[in-house]
Amino acid sequence: MNKISKLLLALSLAFSVTTSAFAVTVASWGGAYTESQKLGYGDPTAKKLGIDINWVDYSGGLSEIKAQKEAGAITWDIIDVFAMDTINGCDEGLFVKFDFDKDFPAAPDGTPASKDFFTSMPSECAVGNILYSWNYAYNSDNVKGTPKTIKDFFNTKKFPGKRAIYTGALTNLEIALAADGVKPGKGGAKIYKALNTEKGVQRAMDKIKELCTDPKGGCVFWSAGAQPPELLMSGEVVMATGWNGRFFNAAVGEGAPIVQVWDAQGLDYEYFVLVKGSPNEADAKKALAEMTSTEGLAGSAKYIAYAPWRKSSIAVMEKGEPWYKDGKTNMVPNMPTAPANTKNYFLVDPLYWADNGTELGEKWEAMKAGF
Amino acid sequence: MSSENKQILTTDGTPLEVSLKKAEKKNKIKAFLLVAPLLLFIIITYVFPIGEMLMRSVDDKMVTEMLPKTYKSMEKWDGKELPPEEVFEAFYIDFQKLIEEEREGKLSTQLNYTKNGFKSIIKKLRRKSKSFEEGNYKEQIMAVHRRWADVEYWRAIKRRAPAYTYQKYLKGMDMYENEKGEIVNVSEDRRVHRILWLRTLEIAFFVTVFCFLMAYPIAHLLATLPMKYSNLLMICVLLPFWTSLLVRTASWMILLQQQGIVNDFFVTIGLVTDDNRVEMMYNKTGSYVAMTQILLPFMVLPLYSVMKTISPSLMRAGKSLGGTPFVAFWKVYFPLTIPGIGAGCLLVFILAIGYYITPALVGGASGTLISNQIAFHMKSTLDWSFASAMGLMLLSGVLVIYWLYNKLVGIDNIKLG
Repeated sequence: MNKISKLLLALSLAFSVTTSAFAVTVASWGGAYTESQKLGYGDPTAKKLGIDINWVDYSGGLSEIKAQKEAGAITWDIIDVFAMDTINGCDEGLFVKFDFDKDFPAAPDGTPASKDFFTSMPSECAVGNILYSWNYAYNSDNVKGTPKTIKDFFNTKKFPGKRAIYTGALTNLEIALAADGVKPGKGGAKIYKALNTEKGVQRAMDKIKELCTDPKGGCVFWSAGAQPPELLMSGEVVMATGWNGRFFNAAVGEGAPIVQVWDAQGLDYEYFVLVKGSPNEADAKKALAEMTSTEGLAGSAKYIAYAPWRKSSIAVMEKGEPWYKDGKTNMVPNMPTAPANTKNYFLVDPLYWADNGTELGEKWEAMKAGF
Repeated sequence: MSSENKQILTTDGTPLEVSLKKAEKKNKIKAFLLVAPLLLFIIITYVFPIGEMLMRSVDDKMVTEMLPKTYKSMEKWDGKELPPEEVFEAFYIDFQKLIEEEREGKLSTQLNYTKNGFKSIIKKLRRKSKSFEEGNYKEQIMAVHRRWADVEYWRAIKRRAPAYTYQKYLKGMDMYENEKGEIVNVSEDRRVHRILWLRTLEIAFFVTVFCFLMAYPIAHLLATLPMKYSNLLMICVLLPFWTSLLVRTASWMILLQQQGIVNDFFVTIGLVTDDNRVEMMYNKTGSYVAMTQILLPFMVLPLYSVMKTISPSLMRAGKSLGGTPFVAFWKVYFPLTIPGIGAGCLLVFILAIGYYITPALVGGASGTLISNQIAFHMKSTLDWSFASAMGLMLLSGVLVIYWLYNKLVGIDNIKLG
C-alpha cells in the first residue's frame, strides 16, 4: 500500500512537471484547423526552441479562461480567439499587452512586424494568425445554373431551395445589406455605416426574414463549422454560408461537388493571445513569436485554406507552389485574400460587434422566434 | 396514569427517561456524524454555489466603486436633460484614475451590458482624453463622439449607481427600470426572453406528456412479462440510456432530415412526393421527437419500479368483484402507480426544462430554449451576473413546480424505486 501511494505521488509529480512546468499549452478550435496549426508551426517551433507544445481543444469564448483566472489555476498559455474576444479579454485584463515590433520578429526582408501584417490589430493584446472568409457555397449537383453573386444567394426564384446560414447575427446582417444593394465600399465601411443606424439594421433583418419565411427558400441555422459542407452534401440545403477552409477541405480534400462563391465575402481574422500570469509566460511568448513568424504562418497554409496574416508569408507560398499538402493544388488562388476573391468583400468589424453584439443578438433571436 | 406518580427506574437507579435520552443522544450524534460528509458535500457543491450565484446576480459594486465621484455628483441630476458640467468633470477624474489602473476596459464591458455602444466610445475617450485641456469637460467629452452627447447614455451610467440591483432579473423578463423609477417593457423587437421562457415551458410540458403516454405501456409490459422477455425489453430501454446524448441526437438528425431515412421511406411507399418531403427537423417537431426519446428512460424506470410492486392479484380481485377490465385498471391499478407517475413526470420535466444541446441541434430557429440564452451569456458576452440571474429564475421555476406538485399530489407520494 505504502509503495503504491509513493509511486502514485512520484507519478503525479512527474506528470504535473511535464504538463505545467515545461510545456506551453495552446487552446484552439480542434479538428482540421488545430491539425494545420500543429503540423504547420506548432511542431517546427517545438523542435526549434526545445519547448513542448500541448494543443487542447476549446469551443471559443472567454468563459473558461476567466474561470481559470478566478480560480487562480491558469493552465492555458496561449489561446486562439476571435477578434471580439481579443477586445473583450484585453479589456478584462486577461491577456498580455504586446510591444508589437519588439515582441514579434520582422519579415525576412527586414520589414517590421507591424508593417508586415495586413491590418493593424484590434487590440494591444492580439497578434494575427490567419484570415478566413465567411463566404457561401453551393452543391453543383443540386443547383441548376451557376450562382455568382450574393444576390443569387437570396434569389429563391432563380435558385429555389433552403439555405443554411450562421445561427447568430454576425455576418448575416452584412451579407443581407450587400444583397439588398448596399455596395460594401472600402473594407465594408458603407455596410457598417448603414448598420450603425436603426433603419439599416431593420433593412438587413427584413431581408433575412424574407429569405427564411419564403416557401421556396427557408433557413437552416448552423453553429459548428463542419455543418455547412455536410448540409450541402446531404442535400438538406442548396446553398450555405460558411468558412472557406471547410468548403475547401470538402471540395479539394474529399472531392465533393461543392463550389465556393466569393462575392461579398466577409474577411475575418483569427488571433493569438497570451494569457497574463500563465505558468509559462516567458516560454509561451517565445513560442508565440516563432509560430507567427513568416515561415511559421506560411506553414499552416499547407494544410488548410486559410490565409497567413503576414504579407511575407504569402510571398513564401507563391514561391513554393503547389503549396497544398497533396503536392498538386496551388494554394494562393484559394486564399480568401487572393485578388480574384476580393473584388467585392467586407472586413468583419470586431469593434462594431463588440459594441452592438448583445443588442443585435437579442433582436436577432426575437426575429428568429417569430418565424 | 401511574407513571406520573411513580418514576420507573433502571437497574443503576437513574430514571428511565434520563437514561433513554442519554442513549438517544449518543445515537443522534452518531447519525449526524454519519451524514456529516454528505451534508458537507451538499453545502460545498450545492448551497455554496447557489449562494454565490445569487450574490453575483445582484452585486453591482464594481461599477459603483469605479465611478465614486461621478455618482456623487449625479445625485442631484434628474436624468431629464444632459447632466451639468460638474458630472462631466467628476466622470473625467474617475476615468483618468481608471486609465492609470488599466481598468477602463472593465468599465466599458460593464456599461456595454446596460446599453450597447459603450465599448467603442470609451476606447475613443481614452485616446482623446490624453490631450484634454483643463476646464469645460462637458464640451470636450461630447466632442469625442456623438453618443456622449446623448442623454440616454448618461442615464445608462446612472442606472448602474446602486451597489446592489435587481436589474438583471428585470432584464430576464424583458423589462427595465427607467429614469423615473417605473418598470417598463423593452422595445418590442428586443423581447426575446419571455418568448424563450414560454417556449421552454411548453416544450418541457409536452415532452413530459409524450414521455408519459409512451412510457406507461412499456413499463407495464416490463413489469408483467415473464422474466426472460422482460430482461430483453429492459436492455432495449437501458441501451439508449447508456448511449451518449450527442450520439442519439446525431442519429435523430440522420433519420429526420429531409433527405433522411424516414423521408426516403415515406417517398418509397408513396406517402409524400419527392418534392414535398416532410419537414421533421429544424423545427419544434424535431425537438419533441428527439427529446422524448432521450428522456423516455427517466419515465420508464420509476414507473417500472412502482408497477413491479403491484400484485397482479389486485387486478384479478377488481375484476372478480364485477369491474370491467377498464374499471379495474382505472380504480385499482392506476391509483397505485401514481407515485411512479409523479416521480417520472417531475424528473422528465425538470431535465427537459434545462435542455439545450438537443434543441440547439435539431430545433432550428424555433428550437432555442432559455438555457441556450444562459450559455450565450456565460460564453460569449461574459455577462455572468445576467446568466446567474436567469439561472436562478430557472431554478425558482423548478421549485415552484415542485411546490405545486407537493400541494396537488404530495411529495411523500413520490417513489423512485
